[in-house]
Amino acid sequence: MSTSTLNPSANVPAAAWQRLREVPLLPAVAAAVVLFFVLAALTPHLLTSRDPFAIDLPNALQAPSLAHPFGTDQSGRDLYTRVVYGTRESLLIGLGATGLSMAIAVVLGVVSGLGGKIFDGLINRSLEVLFAFPVLLLAMLFVTVYGPSVTTQIVAVGLGTAPGYARMIRGQVLAVKNSGYVEAAHALGHSRWTVLRQHVFPNAMRPLVAVVTLGIGQSIVWASGLAFLGLGVAPPSPEWGALLDAGRMFITRAWWLEVMPGLAIVAIALAATVLGHHLQKKLEGARS
Amino acid sequence: MTNRQPAYQPSTTDPSRSRLRNGLSVIGRSDLRTNGGKGAGRRAASAAALLGVLALTACGSGSGGSAGAAAGEKVDGGTIRYAHLQEPPCIYGGWVQQAYLSRQVLDSLVSQTEDGSIVPWLAEEWSVSEDQLTWTFKLKEGVKFTDGTPVDAQAVSDNFEYWTGGGNGTVQAYIQEYYESSKAVDASTLEVKLSAPYSPLLSALSQGYFGIQSAAALKERTEQQNCEAPIGSGPFTVGDWKRGESVTFQQNPDYNSAPQNAKHQGPAYVDSVVWSFVQDNTSRFGSLASGESDAIGEVPTVDFETAKPQFQVQQYITPGRPVTLSLNTVEGPFTDTKVRQAFAYSADRKAVVDSAFLGVVPFEPNGTVSQSTPGYNAEIAGEYPFDQAKANALLDEAGWTERNADGIRTKDGQELAIDIVFGLNSIVTTEGATALQNLQEQVKPVGFKVNLLPVTQADLFGGAYSTPDSYDAQLGYWTSPTAGILYINFRQNTAKNPNYANTAFYNNAEIEDLILKANSAPSTEEANTFYAQAQQRLSDEAVAVGLYTQTSTVATSQNLQDVWLEASQGEPVFHDAYFTE
Repeated sequence: MSTSTLNPSANVPAAAWQRLREVPLLPAVAAAVVLFFVLAALTPHLLTSRDPFAIDLPNALQAPSLAHPFGTDQSGRDLYTRVVYGTRESLLIGLGATGLSMAIAVVLGVVSGLGGKIFDGLINRSLEVLFAFPVLLLAMLFVTVYGPSVTTQIVAVGLGTAPGYARMIRGQVLAVKNSGYVEAAHALGHSRWTVLRQHVFPNAMRPLVAVVTLGIGQSIVWASGLAFLGLGVAPPSPEWGALLDAGRMFITRAWWLEVMPGLAIVAIALAATVLGHHLQKKLEGARS
Repeated sequence: MTNRQPAYQPSTTDPSRSRLRNGLSVIGRSDLRTNGGKGAGRRAASAAALLGVLALTACGSGSGGSAGAAAGEKVDGGTIRYAHLQEPPCIYGGWVQQAYLSRQVLDSLVSQTEDGSIVPWLAEEWSVSEDQLTWTFKLKEGVKFTDGTPVDAQAVSDNFEYWTGGGNGTVQAYIQEYYESSKAVDASTLEVKLSAPYSPLLSALSQGYFGIQSAAALKERTEQQNCEAPIGSGPFTVGDWKRGESVTFQQNPDYNSAPQNAKHQGPAYVDSVVWSFVQDNTSRFGSLASGESDAIGEVPTVDFETAKPQFQVQQYITPGRPVTLSLNTVEGPFTDTKVRQAFAYSADRKAVVDSAFLGVVPFEPNGTVSQSTPGYNAEIAGEYPFDQAKANALLDEAGWTERNADGIRTKDGQELAIDIVFGLNSIVTTEGATALQNLQEQVKPVGFKVNLLPVTQADLFGGAYSTPDSYDAQLGYWTSPTAGILYINFRQNTAKNPNYANTAFYNNAEIEDLILKANSAPSTEEANTFYAQAQQRLSDEAVAVGLYTQTSTVATSQNLQDVWLEASQGEPVFHDAYFTE
């Protein structure tokens, strides 16, 4: 590894490097954490040489050591390997659920914001009904009816979190709709569709970039919560919530079974949140 | 009065095995007795052993020496707060979890002791005719149900009619095809007529399912009322049941019909038992550790070592069918005997179980009868050791010769995939689920792909997994004080076909014949010879692969004495329990 090839100033224009150096430490660390987990999700075998399912009964419940940095579980499986391999499912659920809830929210929010009194009233009342149920309860109901799997978890968490986003988008759409530049665009004779596409939609969506980033971390926590309650993917899957659930019984004897997957969840949720806040600040700064 | 626990029975075989055969093992005492057993010296010296002895001396057995002062002064009254794993839908019924509850309220005709002998309970004495078809029971006099009606021969006869008329499916599974009629000869003499000799009858009668209820209550109250709050002549009555939380048992102040193997006659020492349902293992054990509970059932295996020095821990290895994988013999890959045998050879089942249960629950190699059952065939326990070479050879012979990219064997393009269904948290504990995960990994190199399908109690009991197309193997147990459990699990025909208890769907006329011969044998010894032969045949056919024994455990705080586990299926008994100061 030679520093000269890695030195960005050699390849990237100086201005860009200057910008990069202005990134504060915290978001940089967060980005590194996210990068690590993305790597774990895409190419887990690069981060560990072990099989996440391989049992080793004589070495069950070993405390963290050099050979097993996160310790081993009740069947002697290497916990670090399981956390790494569990990343894909956990991230998939986080991204999938956020994507789904955003898709639902955009449709509902935009229709509600632009669709006139009847649509707005109808959608708003339904959202209020959904709001009456806590997210976790809605998600649990859904999983109970359709059975636990990655797909149902995505749909459950996605549906559960959609009403919140829909509200937010509706508010944005309403604010943008009544703004001066939209009025100006109308006055200039642009068609409704053009105004919607070029002015309302992009301006209403921009603040959501940050919200989405925050939402991914939150969705991973929801999904892990479901798995912890036994409503997630079934063991021996290394999904993080399932790891927490399986290790719960051993908490007095093998703390690492709870602490290590817990730290992974905390790390990704924190990292996503920090990045989200950073983006939010940037965007707000850009607008003002 | 026989307060004494039957002494440990010396045996020439492995001492730890003997302890298990003995059924009830009070931790500590048995370690002292099985001098020379593995680790006995170390454990005998531990506080756990001493406390185990204390618990026993307190009940007057005199088996453990002089210590006893530490137990403190006995106090009358008080409320036992007991935390249990499972909450069944009803108190009276055909599931062992219901027998645990109904035992507190109902008396049975007889009781079984740890050595398998039968002692009087509501029946003072009994006899059977020369042809073994007519049983005469002489009932204790002056016993009343808690609704005031007498426990007389007519009432007991009404109970027989109620059970066999559909009142209890488990009772039906035992006696339906043998029971013919019953009648009250006089107020205290009951005559039961059978259609054929049935040697397990008395053993069967000792279980909680056969608890005698008030005939008036059965007649006048709804099914629901009798099931939720059965009225019997037992040491407690059913009080308030807060669903999802607890059920309270109130002391029956007039109780005068304890079984002969109880530690005292007369009413319970305590005023009430609050029996709460705490499914979460950590919380349940935590409630005992924090003093919120005085006793807990199903001590989590991970907490066993922690519990032993601090509490009085008792473990009962239940007789009957162990926790076993019944292999579907009529549909899927297990229709081929060779594939079933290969499956049995392909996992180190002992390692799988020992690891998952941290050595607390014994491995049971026999797939049909557990080691604490009278009539257990110990010889077949050595069959199907861990031998993957043999498993591979058998699968090759059976035509599963190809392997796909994942190393799974295939035949005609079909994967050798096995769906294992199990009722998680209802039938199988989390430790059991871990054992299955271990097994799943272990059979992989041989080329089996195991899919684990945990199912809910509602689905399982609702019959969603009762047909041959719904699984390749099912993990389950059936507690029973007799090897006659084979009759329930492997007979071909029941009044209502198919036999839902035959989870392997295995029908073999010759084996059934052996079981029927055993049922009708004139003595228990002869019966057990036939039962042993049937176990051998079933093992040869590999219709069920044994994993571990079902156990019943209880841990009690140091100031609560004489809680015990009865010997028919490990029902906890609180009638003799008292607090000390």
